[in-house]
Amino acid sequence: MAFSSMAFLFGFLPAAVLCYFLIPARWRAGRNGVLLLFSLAFYAWGGLRLLPVLVWSCLVSWAAGLLAAPGRRHRQAAFWAAAALNLLPLLYFKYTGFLLDNLRALGLGLGLELARPGLLLPAGISFFTFQAVSYLADVYRGTVPPERNLLRLALYMAFFPQLLQGPIVRYGDFGPLLAERRETVSDASAGAVRFCFGLGKKVLLADALGNVANAAFSAGDRLTVSLAWLGSIAYTLQLYFDFSGYTDMALGLGRVFGLPLPENFDYPYLARSAGEFWRRWHITLSRWFRDYVYIPLGGNRRSRRRHLWNLLTVWLLTGLWHGAAWTFVFWGLYYAALLIGEKYLWGSALERMPSPLRHVYALLLINFGWVLFRAGSLGQAGAVIAAMLGLAPGGLWSGEAEFYLRQYAWEWVIALPAALPVKVWLSRALERRRENGNRIAAAVLAFGPRLLALCLLGLSTVRLLSSTFRSFLYFQF
Amino acid sequence: MEKFSQRAFLLCLLAALLSVPAGTALWSRRDTTAYYENRSLTEFPALTAEALWTGTLGTDLESWYSDHVPGRTTLLKADTAAQLNLLRRPAVNEVVPAGDVLLPLLSYEERAGSEYPALAKTAAEPFGKLSAHIRAYGGTFCCAGIPEQRVYFRDRYPDYLPRHETEVTAGDGAYARAMAEAGVDFLDIGAVYDAQGHRPEYYSAVDHHYSCYGAYTAYRAILDHLAEAGRDLPVLTEEDLEFRELPNPYIATRNRKLYNLWPNEERAVIAVQRGPVPFTRYDNGEPSDRPLFVLPAEDCLPATYNLYMGGDFAETVLETDRPNLPNALIFGDSFTNALETLLYASFNETRILDLRHYDKMSLRAYIDTYRPDIVLCVQNDTFYYLGGGNNDVWEDP
Repeated sequence: MAFSSMAFLFGFLPAAVLCYFLIPARWRAGRNGVLLLFSLAFYAWGGLRLLPVLVWSCLVSWAAGLLAAPGRRHRQAAFWAAAALNLLPLLYFKYTGFLLDNLRALGLGLGLELARPGLLLPAGISFFTFQAVSYLADVYRGTVPPERNLLRLALYMAFFPQLLQGPIVRYGDFGPLLAERRETVSDASAGAVRFCFGLGKKVLLADALGNVANAAFSAGDRLTVSLAWLGSIAYTLQLYFDFSGYTDMALGLGRVFGLPLPENFDYPYLARSAGEFWRRWHITLSRWFRDYVYIPLGGNRRSRRRHLWNLLTVWLLTGLWHGAAWTFVFWGLYYAALLIGEKYLWGSALERMPSPLRHVYALLLINFGWVLFRAGSLGQAGAVIAAMLGLAPGGLWSGEAEFYLRQYAWEWVIALPAALPVKVWLSRALERRRENGNRIAAAVLAFGPRLLALCLLGLSTVRLLSSTFRSFLYFQF
Repeated sequence: MEKFSQRAFLLCLLAALLSVPAGTALWSRRDTTAYYENRSLTEFPALTAEALWTGTLGTDLESWYSDHVPGRTTLLKADTAAQLNLLRRPAVNEVVPAGDVLLPLLSYEERAGSEYPALAKTAAEPFGKLSAHIRAYGGTFCCAGIPEQRVYFRDRYPDYLPRHETEVTAGDGAYARAMAEAGVDFLDIGAVYDAQGHRPEYYSAVDHHYSCYGAYTAYRAILDHLAEAGRDLPVLTEEDLEFRELPNPYIATRNRKLYNLWPNEERAVIAVQRGPVPFTRYDNGEPSDRPLFVLPAEDCLPATYNLYMGGDFAETVLETDRPNLPNALIFGDSFTNALETLLYASFNETRILDLRHYDKMSLRAYIDTYRPDIVLCVQNDTFYYLGGGNNDVWEDP
């Protein structure tokens, strides 16, 4: 079920909230039970056939957590076995087709029929698998105690606000809250405001800009330099508003239920280098790879050669995590090359550059990177990048580019400041005035965001009604 | 103030979230169609084990819920008004307000001109066979191609929007040539309009059809053409007709997509015979008392293009009981409707088929059964290359 659907907004969500808050706060297990039941229903909305993989992952992680805790015999074997049992469904559902396609292309079929199986990728599998692995690793390391209550672990794995697109939560942060937390009106209000802002980002901005990106990436021989740039910028913005909008909704809902989730974005397009970008974009994924792959491999504390190898490995895996296609592999390696370059080649020169130039540097590289990410094939990525560099089959300018500028003029105008911390700047300015006794500023701060949130909910609902339902981009990962 | 605003906000939000399902539960069964969208609303999905297992139940419920939200039409109308008047988007609901006309938003993807000759040859082939078949028993076959409104007004599109010029210049030309090569007597009504100065009143500004004036011009051109082919038929001259503008607001296909919000004063016009030729009408084999113009009951009610003959029917027969005149068969799309109100007066019996809906027998079998003296095909030019429907004119024995 998508957050940006009528069924979720005006069915599932109010039902979940009412059922949750009708149970007395002192009966914590009851409230957790409601959340778990609604989480499983949320997941099963896409088809009951999706549930077995999630249930399997929960059961394996729970049982293995008990066996892999410090002090248990054969705990290393239990840990590796459970990690493999969690990763196998991910590998099977996500990468079998890719592997078979490549084997066939390489002529290694050895006479066997290597037809691509029609596998349905369980939604959110990449996210809950990584949560399961992080739980197992943390238990194995002894940084968190094993969870004896299966239902609590299941809720950690399946908590519906973050089940499908993250953020990736650590059990050390989440587990204690299942036993002890406090839901407040203030948190519920702040969470609901954030949810509505996230919904607006997704429905009003991301989906509209997605139309521009779709047009550019499917233009073929009509592609012009202007359309290629417009399409790539639109996709850069679309992806941010789509994913960060979803994250806002997830974090907002988490806060309503008294379960704060970790931030996943920190205005990534303010970055001044590729390295900084990845400290601001999909933060929980970067941390996961850092803590469970990069550091265990030795990080940067070994030889330079080993460091380079570790970076390549991490970014190859990051690319593959996002999708089973060569475009994602090259996208991962692209960032590996940039990070290596910034670390060993041009990093010091970059730091001496004026700040605006560094922003331009980072934005250009990020934008080119998203072209690789969005493209359906390496050929398409090459065509769009070539067009951006001036080698467009349709020339410099086209009516199509002008149309998409005009048609989505309002989205373009709103998207650019919305990708910047304008809201933060405004809030700070108003808070300073409020502290100086300005009543208007106090009223604006008290009512402004909430009124705006209600407006965004209304506008998003109208847009949802008037447009074809679209699923979130990150479902596929 | 902060606490008050928090509580007030949460109450408003909860009320909004609950009001939609409550309203849907109370009023969901009232509407079954979306008038402005010209479609049926989604029905409540059946709960089956398979639908639950595959997840189609969720998708179907979402469609149903979206369709049955209380006040949906009002919300969408308000959204359309905002996009049209406030945001001033170049295209709203896939309709382009282009100066004084409404046109459809076309895809930027267009067929290359070089593709048309081969396609036209394929498209014309069955018409050629049909023509030969009709000529073989002494009948006359004529095919009239009429520009669609977006083709007629294509110069009104803003420069940055596609107008599918190639489809017109290469496509229509190739079609006419291919029809001639296939031995079909093809009449390009677009050329007739051009010869008369390409007058804007020939077409509706807000509908994809021509106006009554355009239809009348086409009617005269067709009869003149048949006369040249040796079929001298009675003609309704302008003196025989009274062109009457209806008082009703005209809800046309393009403006309907905009919830009729685009301001225009266009009214439907009907060509009423001063001395009407009486007829007996049958629709889909049943006697029908429908008149030539099915008008709204009151002047304030909206009229649509369906007022001509009451809209599309699979089969309509008009008998004038004048055995001295030939019998005719007219088949084609909705552009025939306005023509039928005039053409029937030239024949003893006029049979009208819309092959998009008629499935009792093939066109060839129909012609063999009734042996009409004159067979007339009327198609708008955007249908030339679509195949099926009124292009499905021949099946080999």
